[in-house]
Amino acid sequence: MKVYDGSKAAESEPTERIKVGIAEYDVSTNGAVLTTSGLGSCIGVAIYDRAVGASGLVHVMLPTAEDVDGGNPAKFADTGVETLVSALEDEGADSSNMIAKIAGGSDMLDFSKNGSGIGARNLTVVRETLDALDIPIVEADVGGDHGRSLRLEGETGDLIVKSANREEKRL
Amino acid sequence: MPEVLIADDSEFMRNLLREILEEDHQIIGEVENGVEAVEAYKDKEPDLVMMDIVMPIRDGIEATDEIKSSNPEANVIMCTSVGQEEKMKEAVKAGADGYITKPFQKPSVMEAIEDVVPS
Amino acid sequence: MKVDIQSLGTFNQLAHEGAQQATASMAQMTGIDAAVDVTKITLVDRADVGEELDDGEYVGVQFDFEGELSGRTALVLDRPCSETLTDALLPGDSAANMAQSGVKEIGNIMMSGFIDGWADYLETTIDHSPPTYIEGVGRDVIPASKGEAGADGRTDQLFVFKSQIEYIEESVEFYIYMLPDYDSLTSLMTTHADTESDAIPIDKLEVFNQMTERGTQKAAENVSMMTGIDTEAEVSQISFARIEDVPKQIENSRYVGTVVEFTGIPSGFLLVLFDEMSAKNVAEAMMPVEMDGDDLTDQHTAAIEELGNIMTSGFVDGWANVLRTSVDHTPPRLIHDMGQAILDPLAAQVGRHQEHAFIVDSRMRTDDVEFEAEIHALPNEQELREALDALMIERAEETDADPDEIFQ
Repeated sequence: MKVYDGSKAAESEPTERIKVGIAEYDVSTNGAVLTTSGLGSCIGVAIYDRAVGASGLVHVMLPTAEDVDGGNPAKFADTGVETLVSALEDEGADSSNMIAKIAGGSDMLDFSKNGSGIGARNLTVVRETLDALDIPIVEADVGGDHGRSLRLEGETGDLIVKSANREEKRL
Repeated sequence: MPEVLIADDSEFMRNLLREILEEDHQIIGEVENGVEAVEAYKDKEPDLVMMDIVMPIRDGIEATDEIKSSNPEANVIMCTSVGQEEKMKEAVKAGADGYITKPFQKPSVMEAIEDVVPS
Repeated sequence: MKVDIQSLGTFNQLAHEGAQQATASMAQMTGIDAAVDVTKITLVDRADVGEELDDGEYVGVQFDFEGELSGRTALVLDRPCSETLTDALLPGDSAANMAQSGVKEIGNIMMSGFIDGWADYLETTIDHSPPTYIEGVGRDVIPASKGEAGADGRTDQLFVFKSQIEYIEESVEFYIYMLPDYDSLTSLMTTHADTESDAIPIDKLEVFNQMTERGTQKAAENVSMMTGIDTEAEVSQISFARIEDVPKQIENSRYVGTVVEFTGIPSGFLLVLFDEMSAKNVAEAMMPVEMDGDDLTDQHTAAIEELGNIMTSGFVDGWANVLRTSVDHTPPRLIHDMGQAILDPLAAQVGRHQEHAFIVDSRMRTDDVEFEAEIHALPNEQELREALDALMIERAEETDADPDEIFQ
């Protein structure tokens, strides 16, 4: 049997980039850049603990796990935020030092007739969940009727928001 | 010249119809939904309404139904991208006099109008 | 023959985990960090398998497997990607000489990982033949499935499991195709069907696929009529994927197009999308005057809005006419945004009630100018099932209605 060790992966490289897909999350403690793309009514929640240099990003899709019997916690706003916070705690971060930046939750292509679309409900649940965990939202770029892509810089905790027809924003 | 009301939510389609029709017809109004179509019809009683089906607020079949109920002599031609048999039957039931499917070309529009409002 | 939604979900999950296992093996061997992007089950015409591969050179491995599930599978990657991989595996000058055996080795290990998950789930063994190195241009690289074309008179459609795997750093991708023998897969699906209640008849799904093909042709004819650009329907297929994979069905580059919600049997969302260059070209072909400049103006988007409307009707009318029902849709909403951001709110709306979704994908193109259009439908599962129940196969050809017969 061939056995390969992982030594090749350890070569020093430029800043690592980690792609976070829909209904996925990831954390980094080495200053990596976390990215996620194509947020419509979805929300990207970026959480950062400067004290230990830990950052994490989750890309949630639906408001609450109660709605659907799904196996993937990162898909929902409530369980997604909770999962990200405990993953950061596993890396040594402390929730009392964490700050959050959020982006997404657009109302684009909301066909619901009663006005309360998924984007808005996602936002409500993200806010409630962070509030319950006592993690302040220091910056937000939410709502509107356009899509967004995000880049969370692990070195600084800056969240860069790109939109199709708008200027790039640094939160 | 016969007076025509155009009801279509698409600006592109209104322009296209206007270009086709304005040589031989007088366009007395252009509206964007079924409610405006009924109002404009009652106000101006044109000889012909070119009526789209899928429109916001109120669709063209309902508007046709109301126009034809208030004036059975009204002439309404559905002018729509919808090619569903059940929809065509609904349009007949509402009293529509003709049905043109988009995309259309000038001759087929003129032919349909000639059938409904002979010159 | 019926297949229930739950077992489709299970099989999709198996393929996804298999692809993850395969990717992990690869990462361990090469130190290259890659991630499985999408896994989906697609019902597609035999001739269209692999249509997502462009005209580049591809290499890979294929082998046959046998057991409770039998068929053929292939791992396909583009040539630059294979060079990156073999270089990581065997650094130095020897890489070039070893390219073929390197690919074979990686392929072998990855594909074993892919198949093992299935065997474990089915609590059986699945044997496979030694891998064969393959190379070719575009879809030609993909091996033919083992089944006979059009055997026993059924439509010539296959279920294909596709996984797309992407590197983080390099923008190269590779694909795993699994082409199970039709009978082997359908009997397995039947065995693993948990309930009758959410079962979908496979033969009707195939007919629905054919109706969609005709709908795409109709939409393409409409484009030709409105623009004078001779447009051909290219591919139509139905895929089944996790809700969170739905937005990845399209690129994240910018698109222009229309979206409607349709109600009735079936219900759901329908998108007509053009890349920006295509949108500009097609809109200008509809306009009577020459346009200056490279920007998309309001006149362009007004033309796209109407074209989207007409293509939408061309596409859904066939469903309504075959099913003898009416399918209503909202006026088109014009959209100009990142592809995945367009699909994401729609997937979320459908995803409130289901974990997986069927996605209908069609494409049309022309050689005259740079022009390509995509139509995607995202039906709600419940109404799709009702539509398939109501579908009478003998009416499948009755997609067109003639107003002259009704207005007399």
